Amino acid sequence: MASLSEQLGRFIAELREAGVRISVAEAIDAMKAVATAGLERSRMREALAATLVKEEADRAIFDRTFDRFFAGPPRQAGRRRHPEHPGMAESAASGRGRPGETPHPNERRKPAREPEGKGTAPGEEEHEQSREMRATAAERETGVGESRERAVSSLEPGSEGRRLARIREIERKPFSAYTELEYEQAREILKPLERRFRIRLGRRLRIARAGRIDFRRTIRAGIQRGGLMPELRMRSRRPRHVDLLILADISGSVRYAAELMLELMAGARNCFRRVRSFVYIDRLAEADFEQGHMVCSPPLDLYARSDFGRVLAQLWERRAELVNRQTLIVILGDARNNRRPARADLLREIAQLCRGVVWLNPEEPARWGSGDSAIEQYRRAVTALHPSGSLRELERALVAAC
Amino acid sequence: MDITPETVADGLKKARYITNERVETAIFIALALEKPLLIEGPAGAGKTEVAKVLAEMLGTQLVRLQCYEGLDEARALYEWNYQKQLLRMQADEAQDLRWEEVSEHIFSPEYLLERPLLKAITAPHRVVLLIDEIDKADEEFEAFLLELLSDFQVSIPELGTIRALERPVVVLTSNRSRELSEALRRRCLHLFIDFPGVEQERRIIELKVPNLDARLAAEAARFVAAVRKLGLRKPPSIAETLDWVRALQHLGVKELNTEAVRSALGVLLKHEDDRAKVESRASTLVARPR
Repeated sequence: MASLSEQLGRFIAELREAGVRISVAEAIDAMKAVATAGLERSRMREALAATLVKEEADRAIFDRTFDRFFAGPPRQAGRRRHPEHPGMAESAASGRGRPGETPHPNERRKPAREPEGKGTAPGEEEHEQSREMRATAAERETGVGESRERAVSSLEPGSEGRRLARIREIERKPFSAYTELEYEQAREILKPLERRFRIRLGRRLRIARAGRIDFRRTIRAGIQRGGLMPELRMRSRRPRHVDLLILADISGSVRYAAELMLELMAGARNCFRRVRSFVYIDRLAEADFEQGHMVCSPPLDLYARSDFGRVLAQLWERRAELVNRQTLIVILGDARNNRRPARADLLREIAQLCRGVVWLNPEEPARWGSGDSAIEQYRRAVTALHPSGSLRELERALVAAC
Repeated sequence: MDITPETVADGLKKARYITNERVETAIFIALALEKPLLIEGPAGAGKTEVAKVLAEMLGTQLVRLQCYEGLDEARALYEWNYQKQLLRMQADEAQDLRWEEVSEHIFSPEYLLERPLLKAITAPHRVVLLIDEIDKADEEFEAFLLELLSDFQVSIPELGTIRALERPVVVLTSNRSRELSEALRRRCLHLFIDFPGVEQERRIIELKVPNLDARLAAEAARFVAAVRKLGLRKPPSIAETLDWVRALQHLGVKELNTEAVRSALGVLLKHEDDRAKVESRASTLVARPR
């Protein structure tokens, strides 16, 4: 028994190394679960999964680690990569299977969960495997596309988990490491994100609203107690009076972050009284969405060199039109100004005129202030400064800002 | 009843719930370790059903708490019955009682309105507590639940601490409309229920729709599985599949062809654009070779 708990301990350690978060309490649960469920392979797998994997997105990592760690009966093991280690292969495998890596296709076992899958002849299983191999290869290339191969692969249980894992990966990936394809995928997952964002924002705004007393509802509630101990009921206010002004840098370095933010905020429009979106590189241009595509007027020279100081000067000139006491200004940019004047003094003046200025910087905080970054000058002028290097960070920063 | 993996599998079968080893094992572990079970998965894949089936299997009552935005302790745990307390105070007025005596009267269990959570804890025997769509509740409520789920006790200032006589079997479901906290996940066992595979769905259809032509059941299961892969706004749930098959049965459909598909598609799909998408591909979806 001691050796079993030792093995489980090592198994858990390896899962942790692969990025699955497991607490001590969960590890104890896992031991208890195996003790009650027994060692029958597939049942043990599910027992461990129920206690250790708390997010479906981690399930693929779990399955991979499980297969490597607790190899099946010898007949199956012959086809696997570590035939010489029928029992445990952890020493050979440690360090492999990091979250980002794709497993060797042969290592993927067909999950024998569906009863009809259990009795397949070896030949058929071989075929199944190669089919899945093709499917996963295609999936890797087309991503969230609708290829036929993917359709086949999503027949297998666990496909939803793989999709969720992919979404999570994109949510956490820094914008700076995005490929064009990943940007497209990020736009696809923006829809559910938008909904979540809107709900979170709406909820915060509702809590913040404590308006006038609703006389009718207060009396209605008081009747229950014969008019004693009345509880005040408040009338909920209609949209909070916030005019949002968004300034987003669309120069090459932070373009993805800017476009995703503008799209996200477009979905949350009705949480605000008015929303105006501007994009800039070296000049200010109003941005609009037409059928999912951003159009800005006047058109910007995409090859210009960033100059936020000049943008601030333009904003200062138009302050009567754009900024009032209800305006919340959200700026997204890396503040890399090509050593041109930062004009942080103007930003400070503007901040005096409005509700607040929030700066979102997609650059990783370690690089702030290095080279031609003027973020340290702007930091003192704004109300808040948040890192927003990935979709997840961006969402969090926006909820905190608004 | 002895809890073994076999009795759980048997019990589920008797409760007419067709599922796979993953679900069976998770339920078994939850029962054996007396831990709450958090179930996630797409809408309509049978998450809530698990709790109902569990109650049936254990021969006990199901206590259900439906979560929504703004759900608070008064709605979830308990509330004093103010009207009744007032009546009591007015009735007592004539007797000229001291305040201590009055408060002893009006703050007794008789004047307590039990909401689902308290009901599950104070039940004389083990019940199944279903906390449905926990993701809809506010984050504060989730934090409040944590305390309850780890100790199965609540304190009511006027009455003291109430401890569960029999730990309820707790099932939580979530549709992921927001991320649940790590703390909650840690305290629960986790189960992800996906839509069933073609074969499993066929067996569900055959079980729930009696006197159905076996071939039609297989065709319907295959069709629905294909439809779910189209990336619709709302993929059909199992319940909708069953309704649809029943509709087909009533329409006297013997064989699933394009015409039959069109005739009752409204039962399966509830969005106009989903419908248009499926209708335009109906022939290829039906004609998919086995």
